[in-house]
Amino acid sequence: MKHLMKYEFRKTLIAKLIILGTTAVLEILFLIGLYTKHDSLAGYSTIMLTMLAFGGVLFIGLQSVMTLHRDMNTKQSYMLFMTPNSSYKILGAKVLENGLSILMAGTFFFALGMLDISLALAKFGRLDELRKFFQDLVSAFNENIQLDAPSLASLTFSLLAAWIATVTAAFLADVISAALLNGKRFNGVVTFLLFLVFNFCCAWVQNKATASIASYQTTFLVQGAIALAFSVLMYFVTARIMEDKLSV
Amino acid sequence: MLESKAVTKLFGAKTAVDHISLKLEKGHVYAMLGPNGSGKTTWMKMAAGLIKPTSGEVRFLDVPVNIDSRRHVAYMSTEPYFYAWMTVKDVGKYYSDFFQDFSYSRYQDLLRRMELTEDMKTRSLSSGMMAKLKIAVTMARDAQVYMLDEPFNGIDLLARDEIRACILEYATEDKLLLLSSHLVEEMEAIADRAVFIRQGQLVECVDLEEMRGEKGVSMADRYREIYAHTEG
Repeated sequence: MKHLMKYEFRKTLIAKLIILGTTAVLEILFLIGLYTKHDSLAGYSTIMLTMLAFGGVLFIGLQSVMTLHRDMNTKQSYMLFMTPNSSYKILGAKVLENGLSILMAGTFFFALGMLDISLALAKFGRLDELRKFFQDLVSAFNENIQLDAPSLASLTFSLLAAWIATVTAAFLADVISAALLNGKRFNGVVTFLLFLVFNFCCAWVQNKATASIASYQTTFLVQGAIALAFSVLMYFVTARIMEDKLSV
Repeated sequence: MLESKAVTKLFGAKTAVDHISLKLEKGHVYAMLGPNGSGKTTWMKMAAGLIKPTSGEVRFLDVPVNIDSRRHVAYMSTEPYFYAWMTVKDVGKYYSDFFQDFSYSRYQDLLRRMELTEDMKTRSLSSGMMAKLKIAVTMARDAQVYMLDEPFNGIDLLARDEIRACILEYATEDKLLLLSSHLVEEMEAIADRAVFIRQGQLVECVDLEEMRGEKGVSMADRYREIYAHTEG
């Protein structure tokens, strides 16, 4: 399994290095702007860093779906499927590597965001004022959400888990496309519809399970846990289809 | 050692392999022959466990091919399949990571004989060099069964001699070699048995020595007899 994960990581290494390198450049620009009082530089780099944080995490998930697609539909599939590894291991390595990458990237950007906010607050010395501004901003959407570290952490966990569930749903749809619908008419449309249905099912269960929970922090945690459980279920169904039906 | 039991593979409405039943025994080098689209590659991929048969089964040592059989069956596809980011060294490390029977020193020896170096990038290799690399990495395994699909494709005459020598080194009593090729004369110098396939069906599996002795017919002659009207 560790060898499979190593090569899954290697396949996506360049994109991760690009994301990391761009983050480093933007962070340096942010710090220069912050400590040399170039407000516009700090502002633009903050916006870019925020976009990169969301875009980067999204791209890591999308790239894993594209990699799985290539691993099933091009000749490089032999590299994986001629090795003495079951589909459960092959897919497990993909899901684990991708899930860990998403969680690590999300945690990294969350920690960086917290650090940058702390630096900005310390620099400007208007901690309470800025916190109130952001709290008012968030309260405009929902007055029950508190802007504190545990709430933000549970929200981040919920979002990352939801993204992992979306990626595993895409894995399942793609495997159904390659193993069961290959060569059939409307394969692409049916695959996309299946992907939507899988995500709808996950969201429906999340809504039902959290309908009576008052605390937003608990809601985020439960939603995240359900998304991860859904990912595990998707994994087993996908691996079973690969094992029984997939020809490469 | 390797047995095909009424194996059929359909791709949509097209029958690629049609009820092929066949027994391949260790200690022999088999030439799998047939024109393009006759089903050789599809059958090999099913024997390698890459393609699932529509019906029937391929058995290795009396067990349907499975994950475990991949430990003992070395398959070389005719198409290039290495990851684009790999160097020749990475390819060896990859095989070393996944196949216990892979010998890195044997791989290095084969690379030297094929005039390849470990720092070469696979995406920059010519088709001939890629073919040599595929042979080197496949033959560096100490497998029980070797299946080489079109091993001489894109390879010049001198390199063919080297490849033929490598293959024959491995043609021992306890191993089974199966090679497909369009170069019938080339195969005649290596194989001792031939499997003729036409339009997805097995025509015959013959012992070449017996065929030459009893009928005075070479493999090339037999190939012409079987396929002349099909290809014409």
